[in-house]
Amino acid sequence: MLPTPNVSCDYDKVYEPSEDTFLLLDALEKDQSFLNGFLSSKVNVVCEIGCGSGIVTTFMMQNYIPSKYAIYIPTDVSPWAMESMVDTAGRNECDQRILSPVRMNLARSMRSQQIDLLVFNPPYVPAETVPELPQETEAPGNEVSGINGDWLDLALLGGDDGMVVTWQLLHSLHEFLAPNGVAYILFCARNKPLDVVKFMQLQGWKCELVKHRKAGWEVLSIYKFYR
Amino acid sequence: MKFLTSNFLKCSVQDCDKSNDNFPLKYNGESCQLEQDESLDFNPEFLLRIIDRVDWPAVVSVASDLGNTSLPNGKPDFTNEELSEEDMVILRDLHTLLIQTNIVEGEMTCRNCGHIYYIKNSIPNLLLPPHLA
Repeated sequence: MLPTPNVSCDYDKVYEPSEDTFLLLDALEKDQSFLNGFLSSKVNVVCEIGCGSGIVTTFMMQNYIPSKYAIYIPTDVSPWAMESMVDTAGRNECDQRILSPVRMNLARSMRSQQIDLLVFNPPYVPAETVPELPQETEAPGNEVSGINGDWLDLALLGGDDGMVVTWQLLHSLHEFLAPNGVAYILFCARNKPLDVVKFMQLQGWKCELVKHRKAGWEVLSIYKFYR
Repeated sequence: MKFLTSNFLKCSVQDCDKSNDNFPLKYNGESCQLEQDESLDFNPEFLLRIIDRVDWPAVVSVASDLGNTSLPNGKPDFTNEELSEEDMVILRDLHTLLIQTNIVEGEMTCRNCGHIYYIKNSIPNLLLPPHLA
């Protein structure tokens, strides 16, 4: 079993690694040799969307997932996640990896079809709405505003069926992923992952269950999507 | 952000996807503060793969934005089986530029819509204000 990164963040600001996080780590560990063979021997661009504490990207960097030759560009909307990502990487001896976090929505600002490995633990909890981004002014030098809890809600609440944000990603997946790329996405049972799989298969995607686990009253699963 | 990262970032405005001017972003050389991260070791094998992967015209364009006009217009070719001393010099230079150069503070602009994005504490912010999102 691969070691879990050492993480110490302010969990009033970023999502604390939990059952869902660890399931994602287990899924990536399970697929380590699949990924090494599946992706080309060229440089792989790895993009974790919603990196939060940074534990998942750090885990991949520590363990050469998907390969020795990877560039890690994790994204998140939260400024605190960016800070935590850098901090967590710094705690875990991956200083020779190429890491460059970028604040953005999903992978919207990534040049199209460049991501070889996409990883997403979305805000998957069903809720009335997806919270709006806390407001902040754009000029440089201004402090980040927004109550910390607002950022945490954004990491959790996924609107209708908990799927609003995940659907945004899935509908753009062909834009984000390189032609031979693969995406690992986490679902809970209330997201109705089997319906998602059916829809994505009709769009020509291969979908496979990588791992699932009962966690308290939730049933969590990780699916991978590729062409 | 690493210089290399500029090779993967485009304007976030979806309408700009229809133009060819949304990549690479234009870096404002005057506002950009650069720092060298010497801790990253020179790894020629890795670097060759990175060079193979990057959009070279975008590398040249961003380098020139930042005041480095020494790059050749065409992507350097390292197809010889053994790397010559001259190849190693070029590779070391590119290591310094692509991997070790961090843009710590600065601004970048979309050539199509003119939207300005800021880099602070090495983190570029590509989020859009609500009226553009």
